[in-house]
Amino acid sequence: MADSYIVSGNPHWHAPVSTRKIMLDVIIALSPAVIVSFLFYGWSEIFVMLESIAFCVLTEWAITKFLMKKPSTIGDLSAVVTGILLAMTLPADMPWWIVLIGALVSIGVAKMTFGGIGQNIFNPAIVGRVFLLISFPAQMTTWPAPNGFIKNVDAFSGATLLQQVQLLGADKAEALVNFGTLFENIGGSAGEISALALLVGWIYLLCRKVVKPWITISIFATVAIIAGIFHSVDPMTYTGPIFNLLTGGIILGSCFMANDYVTSPMNDWGGVIYGFGIGFILMMIRYFGSYPEGMAFAILIMNMTVPLINRAFHQRKYGRK
Amino acid sequence: MSKLTFSIGGVHPRDCKPAKDKAIELLPLPETMYMSMAQHLGAPAKPIVAVGDKVKTGQVIAESAGFISAMVHSPASGTVKAINPMPDIAGRMVPHIIIDVEGDEWVEGVDTGEDIVSEIPQDSLAMLERIKACGVVGLGGATFPTHIKLNPAPGSPKAEALLINGSECEPFLTSDYRLMLERPKRIIIGAAIMQQILGGPKCSICIEDNKPEAVTSMRNALAQLGYPDMEVVRLKKKYPQGSEKQLIQAVMRREVGSGALPISVGAVVQNVTTAYAVYEAVQKNKPLISNIMTVTGDCLPVEAQHNYEFRIGMPLSYIAEYAGGVPKAAAKIVSGGPMMGKAIANLDAASVKGSSSLLYLKHKTTKRLVEQACIRCGHCADACPMGLEPFLLNRLYKAGNRLDELEKHAVQDCIECGCCLYSCPAGIPLLDNIRIAKQQVMSAMRARAAAAKASAEANAASETKAEAKKQ
Repeated sequence: MADSYIVSGNPHWHAPVSTRKIMLDVIIALSPAVIVSFLFYGWSEIFVMLESIAFCVLTEWAITKFLMKKPSTIGDLSAVVTGILLAMTLPADMPWWIVLIGALVSIGVAKMTFGGIGQNIFNPAIVGRVFLLISFPAQMTTWPAPNGFIKNVDAFSGATLLQQVQLLGADKAEALVNFGTLFENIGGSAGEISALALLVGWIYLLCRKVVKPWITISIFATVAIIAGIFHSVDPMTYTGPIFNLLTGGIILGSCFMANDYVTSPMNDWGGVIYGFGIGFILMMIRYFGSYPEGMAFAILIMNMTVPLINRAFHQRKYGRK
Repeated sequence: MSKLTFSIGGVHPRDCKPAKDKAIELLPLPETMYMSMAQHLGAPAKPIVAVGDKVKTGQVIAESAGFISAMVHSPASGTVKAINPMPDIAGRMVPHIIIDVEGDEWVEGVDTGEDIVSEIPQDSLAMLERIKACGVVGLGGATFPTHIKLNPAPGSPKAEALLINGSECEPFLTSDYRLMLERPKRIIIGAAIMQQILGGPKCSICIEDNKPEAVTSMRNALAQLGYPDMEVVRLKKKYPQGSEKQLIQAVMRREVGSGALPISVGAVVQNVTTAYAVYEAVQKNKPLISNIMTVTGDCLPVEAQHNYEFRIGMPLSYIAEYAGGVPKAAAKIVSGGPMMGKAIANLDAASVKGSSSLLYLKHKTTKRLVEQACIRCGHCADACPMGLEPFLLNRLYKAGNRLDELEKHAVQDCIECGCCLYSCPAGIPLLDNIRIAKQQVMSAMRARAAAAKASAEANAASETKAEAKKQ
């Protein structure tokens, strides 16, 4: 036998999966919502999106090259996903330097400080968004009217539906929600404009078996139950389940951020507990907090519990009780 | 579509069996054959022939050397040329009996006719002796001596089910499939013999539903033979269905405890090829000197793929040459399937009882992904048919000195099926590491058991001493 052959342990072939392919699937899943946001907010949103992706990828590249002195990891596309998600949580008219700060915090602080992909405790895009929300409250809560390539005659700038609750009261704000809200929301973060586009993307991820539905379903169910109870007790003060499921960052957060592999529990039942925690904290912030929206905070708080949940929940093992 | 399958984990590798339409061909004898003394699980056999002895086909040339061991028979007639250590497929030195082939003259008492004998003898003990004398071992992969499995230790539960494993869940392999198509009656008679030896448990012949022709063939043969308490069961295709524990769970909905034998839940599992070998041994007095091998791979055109009936002891290189040589594009040669087979380091090694394939894989197919960081996707845990968490075991192994935790998380239950590494998107060599961890934990467990036994014996001894003093 003159030639030489590879000798290694089994298995001798591999499923057609890779980190890059998974991230590509997430990007495909996000694209309907991204396209809708482009249509409604026009060029300003396209610029914010491109800036966010570019800054995130550049930050990761620079840190791996100059600080960690390791091979670059930007090829796995996870920085692109973070860039897209960060842009989706920002108002469409963000100045570029605020986007840059967001990207530096997301990738530089929340991701690379912990060792890069797979090591971070908190979802990088959410850390970036929360940092900006606290640092630049004015810019982060003034929303441009959705008047891009598609003109929305009813659009008004200024307040999101959740902000209307504090301005007008629960019942009046709720009257603004109708069937159309499912397709296009009124003002808000760019990526949250179409609940339907986000859900389509989520279903794509489910079909591709990239994510499992339990965390997302658990958040939705918790929010619906808590809102249902409070709303039936006092509809003048507390908004109802439909309003709470369709407004703010709940769909973007539940379908694309809370179920991020790295920062969510490994086990299905652990995921249900984690989802319940997010839903509960979210509703407490919405009803009793000073912020109109609490999705980002709810996810970050529950991110911290993941190592504990992972300790408590394990797979059912074959042949063991 | 059948819904019957195991419930924890499993993967769906690409279903490719390019050699499935190739009928079994008989390989001619080479000039020299090499019989390994270690072609079964357990103690290597002890040669009972000397250099220069004349041997006949089917003659015992090595005896079993221990409780778990098996006889080895000459695969041809000729002269014993040497008894030497030789490298096996992995390159380990193993004693071999080397035979200069002169012909194919069988020993007396073997029925070499092709007629099918369906009358089953009544004497179970005599049949068990035959199976032992003919050197039959499990041909599904483990090569565990069959006579031991068919004769459970006294005190073990009664066998309630005999599962004949025809699932052949590994891609590329087609030897079991061809046997079920071409020689179904002999498999079924072999199964009926084992059924009788075990005291008449229900017998299920388990076949995955990607092989409907095999199901039909086996059902027809069963209908013609008309044995009671025997059925052909269709299973939903999923890897590793052919693994003993998974098959028992799929068919019987029972789980074998950690470290326990299948008989503890009343099950005995035998491969279809083993059933065939049992038929040959009991009905024809023919020792296990041949088996079926698939020569296949993704770098071979369909016309170059073959299913061969080979004599055990033929060098693998001889079989490869006969089939047209190793293809240029082959980067890895595997004995067994792509999920659980063993990479061949030495193609000059002899074929053994358990050889089932020569699988040639292209570099593109077999190359591993570049290892990246774990993204905690949990795909490995979803894939593990034992319900283990490979990401966790890998992390504990890499942390070093965590044997207690590895044992707590059941690394010793790993069946090394390869599902975790197969499905890891980050290309982490999970199974490579887990295999090492498993060996470490199992040797620690063995040492602990030995120490416990020693201290129990010491206690018993001191107690007897004290008793003696009292009296």
